[in-house]
Amino acid sequence: MSVYIIPIILIVLILYGTYKKVNVYSAFCQGAKSSFDLVKGIFPYIVAIMISVALFRASGLGSLLVNFLTPIFNIFGIPSEVCELVLLKPFTGSGSLSILEDIISRYGADSYISRCACVIMGGSETVFYVSAVYFAGSKQKIAPAIIISLFGGILSAIVGCLLCKIM
Amino acid sequence: MMASLLVLIFVEPNLIISTMIDQSKDVVSLCINLLAIYAVWLGILEIIDQSGLGEKLSNFLSPVIKKLFKINDSEQIKYISYNISSNLLGLGNAATPSGIKAVKCMEKDLKQTKFAMLMLLVVNSTGIQLLPTTIIGLRASAGSTSASDIIFPTILSSVIATVVCVCLLFLYKKLKKL
Repeated sequence: MSVYIIPIILIVLILYGTYKKVNVYSAFCQGAKSSFDLVKGIFPYIVAIMISVALFRASGLGSLLVNFLTPIFNIFGIPSEVCELVLLKPFTGSGSLSILEDIISRYGADSYISRCACVIMGGSETVFYVSAVYFAGSKQKIAPAIIISLFGGILSAIVGCLLCKIM
Repeated sequence: MMASLLVLIFVEPNLIISTMIDQSKDVVSLCINLLAIYAVWLGILEIIDQSGLGEKLSNFLSPVIKKLFKINDSEQIKYISYNISSNLLGLGNAATPSGIKAVKCMEKDLKQTKFAMLMLLVVNSTGIQLLPTTIIGLRASAGSTSASDIIFPTILSSVIATVVCVCLLFLYKKLKKL
């Protein structure tokens, strides 16, 4: 079903544009052109943030943090097996997706652990990536928003694990 | 980053540069992908924009956005409404370019949009999604008997987190008198 939603929206959009006497072709090209500038603008910031994350993981500080926080997360009902996912999710989308695949193949798709992992994956965003990309070159100080968002990610993990248990 | 470097110097100094370059290579290929994805979505957005549909959408969402973000500029509201609606539809790839444009637009008068920018980040990073398609697909391909039964807990947990975070941000605003 969901496969058809986007194409249908597109068809309606193009028909509507034509009806409104918009040159759909040139409008599309005009928009597509700005993609270069956008990516050019965010590139250095993504490089910087991804390098910091990679160094953090390579140095072993990442797993140290996981070991340190696992018992604390356990108190709030997050199973140990998914703690790494909760902590990695704010940093990298692709990295946490590979952990999720790993968890699903190890524990089976319908197990409690995998369901928790899926809910955690869907319930929050890659905070650091989003902030680097959105605020590339911005002078605005965004630290308070990042802290609140990180807290939100952990909160949604706690609630998600609880919901998986009772349903 | 400093701490990671310091540790690595003692543990495995030869890893430092190779890690950095490998990661940078990954980002280059990521950016080429993004270039393609954003080109498609920005093209579609431009059609929405020029056909006047964007205006309708932002008129529809503007009462909520005005309340949440405390802004009045119609262009800012327009980009934020694109951003929010594509996030809801689970189109993260369309949400990002419109979010970047919203920030660029708000940069122009930094004094008035300080709070709106923080709000944009919070709303985007708690990420409410009506259909977590990637994850459902992953579960289905791993042989789940009911791949979509995670939809409800996912939505509920992210809604709760979003509401709490928005409240926290309002609290922060009050404390700091932004």
